[in-house]
Amino acid sequence: MNRNRFAIITALIAGGLILAAGRQALAGGDARRGADVFAEECGDCHSKIPGRSKKGPTLTSVVGRKAGSVADFSGYSEAMKDSGIVWTVEKIDAYIAAPRKVVPGGKMKYDGLADAAARADVIAYVMTLQ
Amino acid sequence: MTLINLPRGGSERHWARALLVVLASLTLAATFSAPAGAVPSYARQTGSECAACHVGSFGPQLTPYGIAFKVGGYTDTDGQGTKVPLSAMAVANWTHTAKNLPEAPEHFSDNNNAALQEASLFLAGRLTEHVGSFVQATYSGVDRKTFLDQLDVRYARTLAIGEQQGVVGLSINNNPTLTDPFNTLAQWRFPYTASDFGFGTGPAPLVESLGGSVIGVNAYTLWASNFYAEVGAYRALSSGSVNWMNTGQVATQTVDPGKFSGVGTYWRLAYYKDMKRDNFNVGVFGFNAGVQSAEDPSSTDRYQDIGIDASYQFLGTREHIFTANASYVWERQKLDYSHDVLGAADNAKDRLNTFRLATSYTYEQTWGATLGLFNSRGTADSGLYGSVSYNDRPNTAGYILQADWTPWGKEGSWGAPWANARVGLQYTGYTRYNGGSHYIDDVNGSDRKASDNNTTMLFIWLAI
Repeated sequence: MNRNRFAIITALIAGGLILAAGRQALAGGDARRGADVFAEECGDCHSKIPGRSKKGPTLTSVVGRKAGSVADFSGYSEAMKDSGIVWTVEKIDAYIAAPRKVVPGGKMKYDGLADAAARADVIAYVMTLQ
Repeated sequence: MTLINLPRGGSERHWARALLVVLASLTLAATFSAPAGAVPSYARQTGSECAACHVGSFGPQLTPYGIAFKVGGYTDTDGQGTKVPLSAMAVANWTHTAKNLPEAPEHFSDNNNAALQEASLFLAGRLTEHVGSFVQATYSGVDRKTFLDQLDVRYARTLAIGEQQGVVGLSINNNPTLTDPFNTLAQWRFPYTASDFGFGTGPAPLVESLGGSVIGVNAYTLWASNFYAEVGAYRALSSGSVNWMNTGQVATQTVDPGKFSGVGTYWRLAYYKDMKRDNFNVGVFGFNAGVQSAEDPSSTDRYQDIGIDASYQFLGTREHIFTANASYVWERQKLDYSHDVLGAADNAKDRLNTFRLATSYTYEQTWGATLGLFNSRGTADSGLYGSVSYNDRPNTAGYILQADWTPWGKEGSWGAPWANARVGLQYTGYTRYNGGSHYIDDVNGSDRKASDNNTTMLFIWLAI
């Protein structure tokens, strides 16, 4: 019992730290601008409705999630599932900058977003999808 | 000269009859003018809303996402199990012309007609990992016939060569421009629906006139996301095949369906750039065919079509969308059969040039407004056009205005992805018809103004 309680507290603290780190890293990101970036760059394949997957998996609570792990989404490539990635803000930033470089053989048909400010904005927006 | 877009009523029908005699060698087969492109089974397959693939949440104007899906062979999926690749579609309309039609179409009046213009069933979607289909069977409520409308079965896969990769594919299809991923060529350009009681958009080159009367095999690629190339070879279907599929109004015992001398060749090159916020395409295309009388293949009418096209879409956040699609086609006709043998054409060589432009604005993927322009100009030929044209030319020009409302088809829409509808009002105005502002109504033997053909259509378009 005590062991379970310790595990839960540890998980909560870890989750909180990840979230806090993410928010801090996104200090320059503007979620309102990010909503527009999301609509222009991501919305065809990723839903803005929390928990909903489309061609791409839901991005709700993506920070801290293991890559390729959304249970009810079966569209992952083997490369994504085997990547061993746990999504951090930095990793998401690198991925949407150059998807095929971070996950060679991945399925996401996206050439990448070169604008670092736009990436920060869209990550800030994705963080609001709770 | 087009047959695919010939209306069912009005003086042009008689023009068509004359041309069926004059251009017997060209009457491979006529198909019904039918929209094609509202296919919710694709949305069910991909898990995406209609608005992801289509401007205005309804077919057929494709976004880059839709272009990728089509080029990919209609096979992309969200991986959420197997989906049944079936859809249905219906278009009903009410049509008013400025002056009554020269004669009432069978089963209808000479004006203010309401009709279930078409009801279609689609086999549309992923069949295997690399094979997909877009097959449409249609019942025409105006012609009271059921026919195989569109056929496009594709094999597609990605291919990598060194650092570069692209999609390569093969298509078996029944219409040279059906395979194109842009909305500039005949099959997929504005107007996306038009009344069977209207007067069309003037004569069209051969490449735009073959739907349903040919069968072809095309190889294509979209390489490095930017370069689209396609080549195809077409054979004319036999009159027996056309009759079996019931696609030919002219495929009867009394009309020669015609055939190709050898194969008709189609080619297409385009540069396409998707910047997400906006995208554009510039391209060239062509079609060459020799058309013979099936009953008298002693000589051939040769058609050479070369066209240029361009498109631009500003998509932005999808709140305000602007699009522009344009094409210009030059056709050279060498009428050895029609002139030398049949004696129906005055000239051994004729030309036909056609220009088409459509610009649209869509608000919130729901409210749409489109302006279209059409202009066809041809050589004066009293044998071909003298019975309907004062100056012996086929020249026809005008504009199309359309306003429409598409309530569903967005993410989170009611009934998605099953409920899809578009309601629209379309007005077609003619500044020239059969050569000028006035032409000869050969049904009644009287003068008729081009503007008498101005057409107002109210339509509802449903898809499930």
